Amino acid sequence: MQQTILEINHLSKSFGSHEVLRDIDFTVCPGDVTSIIGASGSGKSTLLRCINLLETPTAGEILFHGKNILAHGVKATDYRAKVGMVFQSFNLFNNMTVLENCVVGQVKVLKKSRGEAKENAMAFLDQVGMTPYVNARPRQLSGGQKQRVAIARALAMEPEILLFDEPTSALDPEMVGEVLSVMRTLAGNGMTMLVVTHEMAFARDVSNHVVFMADGVICEQGDPGELFSNPKQQRTQEFLSRFMAN
Amino acid sequence: MDKLTQLGHDIAKLWGTYHASYLNGILSTLILAVVATAIGCIIGFACGVLQTIPHSKKDNVVKRFFLAVIRVIIRAYVEIFRGTPMVLQAVFVYYGLPYFTSLRFTNVWVAAIVVVSINTGAYMAESVRGGIISIDPGQTEGAKAIGMSHVQTMLYVIIPQALRNILPQIGNNLIINIKDTSVMFIISFTELFAAHRAAVGATYLYFPSATIEMAAYLTMTLVASFILRRMERRMDGSDNYELVQTDMLTATAGTYNYPGKGTPFDERNPEHENTLRQAQWDRNNDKRGER
Repeated sequence: MQQTILEINHLSKSFGSHEVLRDIDFTVCPGDVTSIIGASGSGKSTLLRCINLLETPTAGEILFHGKNILAHGVKATDYRAKVGMVFQSFNLFNNMTVLENCVVGQVKVLKKSRGEAKENAMAFLDQVGMTPYVNARPRQLSGGQKQRVAIARALAMEPEILLFDEPTSALDPEMVGEVLSVMRTLAGNGMTMLVVTHEMAFARDVSNHVVFMADGVICEQGDPGELFSNPKQQRTQEFLSRFMAN
Repeated sequence: MDKLTQLGHDIAKLWGTYHASYLNGILSTLILAVVATAIGCIIGFACGVLQTIPHSKKDNVVKRFFLAVIRVIIRAYVEIFRGTPMVLQAVFVYYGLPYFTSLRFTNVWVAAIVVVSINTGAYMAESVRGGIISIDPGQTEGAKAIGMSHVQTMLYVIIPQALRNILPQIGNNLIINIKDTSVMFIISFTELFAAHRAAVGATYLYFPSATIEMAAYLTMTLVASFILRRMERRMDGSDNYELVQTDMLTATAGTYNYPGKGTPFDERNPEHENTLRQAQWDRNNDKRGER
């Protein structure tokens, strides 16, 4: 059997008495591009935030290389350094320049030297086409540019898996393209990615595994070609037909 | 008009005799206000950071107990020092210490700085807490997501931004301190107001001396607020930024093209002189009119 990088077992999350996630199970292998799709409010983002421990799951386990990170004595900071995250609202550090945004984590968390971190950051900024803007501040950039910098910042930590939380939902159609093309390139380079998205074309064409969520449970998951052309569950059919109609 | 001349005369007289004492007072007031505000800010930031340490029910009992105790202590500190007059705090600290222990402040400077710092810290603690919670939670999440600890997140991401937001508050505190250090006369600290008391004690020129004091305090506070405004603008940084060009072809596109070597337009060509002279001659003997 292939070695998994991430394994989610019976994960549940409640806010008070409100159950947002129920008994979530899926696995991610190295090099996988997994898309999580579903209507707003179905728990997709919460799931991703649980995986990065920004929310604490109420029950279940998250195995990272076979080790449960929810167990006592596991340092969340060490784990998070290996799992990159790209947010819907970019969350770039407003008090730093573009370059500084990509350097600070490497220097403070990975304890790299400043020179090495800068060189590294420049390489990743080049990959997302943002080298001319290294001296700009986040407030001076457009949404698409911010998101590309955010991707470079996450990549600069050289994570083993990259989580995307609706990376294009806050962007206009033109900017969506530039971000998606960066993500396509990443996927092509073999990056392990877990993407919460409403971009059905991306989910269908780029990912090799699709998870459809509804009301806090995984309704259906599988190969994108199979799931998109021949959905088995009625909920999936309804959701996809509404999306494809648009 | 007579009265104004009289006032001018009295001020000149006071200044002539006591200018050293006034100037000394100004210096002491400034040093005390600036140092105490700085220390107060540090206390405020420490309290603000400690108060905002995230705590959840999942943490172990020791940590939760420890954090709860810290929060109670900070709460009590803020409420007590914000809720009592600084004059009395000075008396309490300065005379209370030798009352209970064999210790006492041998240096009135130390006593004054301690009292004003602690007082400022209490106000700053709340300002800092407000500054920290005003920062978008996304900033914290972004920092957490790249593996930063709480302290790192605070130091490199949140506090620099909070500092910018509460700079007007810090300015407020500095200006309040410049004025309110005058109550330190109660522990016989000789600042600007003490100079006034000394001068009027000998001359009974209450109003002229007060005029000098007013002008001195107003000057100090105006300068302080001017400097703080400049600092705010400095921290905001420029609205412009330089695009970094990696491609030299685009960097030079559309700029001046140097004439080829050896052509009559090349400045290094000896014939260039003649070209210029010819052009000059042509201009002076414009023949267009004849045509």
